Amino acid sequence: MDELDKLKNHWKQNEPRFPQISEKEIYGMLHKKSSSIVRWILIISILEFVFQVALTVLLNDNTGAQPLHDLNIDYIMIPMTVIGYGIILYFVYVFYMRYKKISATDNVKTLMANILNTRKAVSNYIYTNLAFIIVSFVVLVFVLFNTDPDLINAIQKSEANGEKITFYLTIFVFLVICIAIFIVVVWLFYRLLYGFLLKRLNRNYDELKKIDF
Amino acid sequence: MSSSIERSFVQQLQENQNLIHKICRLYTNNEDAHKDLFQEITIQLWKAFPQFRGEAKFTTWAYRVALNTAITLYRKKTRTINTIEFDSKIHRFNQDEYNYEEEEHIKLLYQAVQQLNDIEKALVFMYLEDKDYTEIAQTLGISEVNARVKMNRIKSKLKKILNP
Repeated sequence: MDELDKLKNHWKQNEPRFPQISEKEIYGMLHKKSSSIVRWILIISILEFVFQVALTVLLNDNTGAQPLHDLNIDYIMIPMTVIGYGIILYFVYVFYMRYKKISATDNVKTLMANILNTRKAVSNYIYTNLAFIIVSFVVLVFVLFNTDPDLINAIQKSEANGEKITFYLTIFVFLVICIAIFIVVVWLFYRLLYGFLLKRLNRNYDELKKIDF
Repeated sequence: MSSSIERSFVQQLQENQNLIHKICRLYTNNEDAHKDLFQEITIQLWKAFPQFRGEAKFTTWAYRVALNTAITLYRKKTRTINTIEFDSKIHRFNQDEYNYEEEEHIKLLYQAVQQLNDIEKALVFMYLEDKDYTEIAQTLGISEVNARVKMNRIKSKLKKILNP
């Protein structure tokens, strides 16, 4: 008889004696808030969506974006805003559909896969949005170079002084550093947040995949 | 939810609470964490109860939800605390068949099981509960052959833990 069978015998013959929970206590538990990982993912994801929507609305706010409106570049701003909202709507829909699929009555592997898939919808949204913000930023800089009177003036001045290449290089390096810092900060934030939240889930999911390999 | 459904749920859970306690015991290492996980399992069971149509036994349905909660959904709040007192309270032998040496050995076995990972613990739990490999495989979402292979590996692992 191996060790586990000895334990099985003991398990069967000596039902462990646990302190019993009364019906009243169980009634109380039914109305408590869950602290499950799915609830946390839902809360964080909603906050992410709200934050991103707030950011988009704020950037399009009349007073904040007035200098851009003055440049008459609606042909760029309107499509960019439409695409921005389109991205949000698409990912909210994907997130909701995946979230609805999560069920505690599924088998362990399916449940884990559904949770990770739901989470992936939000991280895909974040990556898409990051890419969109960077592309918008670059497009905006390009448009400003061609429309903003102050910038055109500065370019002409640098051309007259024979420093055209230095001027463009400075702008280029500055932009690259700004984008790099932005990406690293966001990446670190998500690695910390989800590394902490999903560490155990990822480990268990990998273990199940390894068993079934 | 009508109150009769709530009553039926609470009654069935109360009658079968040992099943939940056993899972909590396996996945936690102190009394507070045990209570915390019991509560989370209760909440998850209650949320899933509308899907329970009585085709299977309450316990069969409940242990799947409970295992899912313990392995996947539950977020541990507390860290490891000395568990000796808690262990001895639960795993004490019946007085009439008390055997000190055997009790010590069983204690060591429980401690060895505690060192397994979450998935291995689930396999051990179902094995101890006399579930067949078809059910074990279905519950975990793996193939039956792989469930058997993994169980054999767990047995070897336990042997190594106990006889380093």
